[in-house]
Amino acid sequence: MWVLRINMSDQSYKLEELPEKYKLLYGRALTSQMVYDEVPPLCHALGLNNKLVFSAGVVTGTAAPTSARVSVGGKSPLTGGIKEANAGTAWGPDLAKMRVRALVVEGLPEKKDVYWGAKVKWDDEAGKPDVEFFDATEHIGKDVYEVYPQIFEKFGEKVSIASMGTAGELGYGNSGVVFNDMARRPSRYAGRGGLGAVMASKRLKFIILDAKGAPGIDMVDKSLFDEGRKKLIDAIRSHPISQPKGGLNSYGTAVLINILNEAGGLPTRNFSAGRFEGAAKTSGEAIFETNKERMGKEIYNHACSPGCIIQCSNTYYNEDQTEATSCIEYESTWALGANLGVDNLDDIATMVQLCNAYGLDTIETGGTLGVAMEGGLLEFGDSKGAIQMIHEMGKGTAVGRTLGGGTEVTGKIYGVKRVPAVKGQGMPAYEPRAVKGIGITYATTTMGADHTAGYTIAPEILGVSGKLDPLSPEGKAALSRAFQATTAFIDSCGHCLFIAFPILDIATGFEGMIQECNGVLGTNWNADDIVAYGAETLKVERKFNEAAGIGKEADRIPEFMKIEPLPPHNQIFDIPDEALDSVFEDL
Amino acid sequence: MRLESFPRLAVGVINMKIDVWLYGVLSMYASEKAEKGFASVQLELSEGTKVGELLKTLNMPTEERGITFINGKLSALPGLQPDLNQELKDEDRISFFDHRSMWPFQYRHGAAMASGLNQILSTNPETIMHHKQKGED
Repeated sequence: MWVLRINMSDQSYKLEELPEKYKLLYGRALTSQMVYDEVPPLCHALGLNNKLVFSAGVVTGTAAPTSARVSVGGKSPLTGGIKEANAGTAWGPDLAKMRVRALVVEGLPEKKDVYWGAKVKWDDEAGKPDVEFFDATEHIGKDVYEVYPQIFEKFGEKVSIASMGTAGELGYGNSGVVFNDMARRPSRYAGRGGLGAVMASKRLKFIILDAKGAPGIDMVDKSLFDEGRKKLIDAIRSHPISQPKGGLNSYGTAVLINILNEAGGLPTRNFSAGRFEGAAKTSGEAIFETNKERMGKEIYNHACSPGCIIQCSNTYYNEDQTEATSCIEYESTWALGANLGVDNLDDIATMVQLCNAYGLDTIETGGTLGVAMEGGLLEFGDSKGAIQMIHEMGKGTAVGRTLGGGTEVTGKIYGVKRVPAVKGQGMPAYEPRAVKGIGITYATTTMGADHTAGYTIAPEILGVSGKLDPLSPEGKAALSRAFQATTAFIDSCGHCLFIAFPILDIATGFEGMIQECNGVLGTNWNADDIVAYGAETLKVERKFNEAAGIGKEADRIPEFMKIEPLPPHNQIFDIPDEALDSVFEDL
Repeated sequence: MRLESFPRLAVGVINMKIDVWLYGVLSMYASEKAEKGFASVQLELSEGTKVGELLKTLNMPTEERGITFINGKLSALPGLQPDLNQELKDEDRISFFDHRSMWPFQYRHGAAMASGLNQILSTNPETIMHHKQKGED
């Protein structure tokens, strides 16, 4: 196992043996630990001293189901704190199969106008990976949908590609790192927190992986792994949310639109209401029915990455049966739909496609445009105007660069006081005034407002649910802590977070996940150990943030949510600050 | 759409209007399907009609529904239906989802719930964190 360091100051690389202390760290646990160990917390996120760290999970690259995740870490230009964003893509397994535990991009070239590509391939003779650099300047300033086919043509269809779009090149806080999906679309984003700009700051346009001939994953106990794998597959295939033609495979993550809308928790027109009259037209059900009408048959969703058996990724088709975009996630159809007062699915699809093409995060883009609409740049509901603004962002016009700074920056520039952001990161699609538990997680996660930071996993095993009233602020805080720790573990094991749905309800699936990890690592982990593993990651992330000047005072929900009641329930966010502080008091 | 399209229940004077939303495959329980992926039906019912009686009016077996809301308050989850005897009031909005729909606990923790589910949460919280499967107790 290696740490592969790519130094962009002189386009050199170094292959180091994995230090003993990182032996059991993978994915988010490793990216966060290495950022803590190597990045000065007060450095400029786009400067010489920031680093971009990639790491796949424990079981990534094995036959474990739905496990092709890769984490990307660094100091975030959006939040100024630590960031881990992850994606499902063949790039993850390819990195793992070459036994590169961490790929670290560091340094900064003096020449600003030359961009580079790095091709990492397995050298069979030497029995290790090597790296070649090439001039990639010709691919700058372009739509990534135009660029990816050219790179696949040059390097072969079996490679996988990490890159970023013009949003990264322009240095936006709103810019993701993009990876290819199964159909080689540049559509799988580690989207949040501006890591695309970190990659671009180092003038690294591509990291291309060619794992042909690579040895794959070494396992200590294959039969234990196989036993766990089978249990997890059975759990995924039998649960109504994750099974074939189940909720996610039929309607995608956008299955949540109608639910949150009925609950009065779908943020509408820049978080001024919790219910949108046009929501149903933008939902997963509507995507499914529109496709059925246009294509003349039912179309179920596909896998974004190799080995996924949940297959939640949709394709949305135009009236003439050409592809409009893939994929429209819940967060995207909300951010660019209800949040902007837009109910036209075709326009939402156009916006999603443009965000992917320019390298923008759909959540941050929608949050930004919502604030800009409130500030008077456009009327709510003006989807054509919103499309134009996304073009301006991608092309780097004056107004586009303003918006590229993200939700909070845009709020400042337009003098808006209703700015839905925590630690500088725009809030996703669940209203904290209507769903208080998610508000606690938004406030306290190290990542800035993040909906994937606190998944509910095995409350009985965590031993939190029986002790405290889950309706009380203290009870909610305790649950949030436990959920955030287990989520940090899943972000490190390589599985997609959506395995949380079946393993929450099917205990053997949960056991299976742990057995898979024990099989690979030769560990003897139980449920307590994985919570402790995740908690360690949270501790490291909090220490980094504190040293970066982001202490517990930043663990707060925006003020307007504490004073403006949200219709239809007319609730405010009333969780006391002490309860928020208690989330990580005893960590 | 009017109540005439549905079998009428002999429960007294028709004096309240209920806004019914049927999502996903449940939209087939509306006599005509108006929109993509859902149907919205206005029913006129007699005061005191309970959720269970409304389901009979719709000809929808209760096990076909999963997540249910009454005026934005969660009243039922898959396999957990403490709302069958809840009385509806004039101008209530009731929404039914099929078993493909989900609402994971982390995205509903602290959301408004009808009294039946609130009671279950305070007495047996673990039950309510789960997403039960169709046909399960």
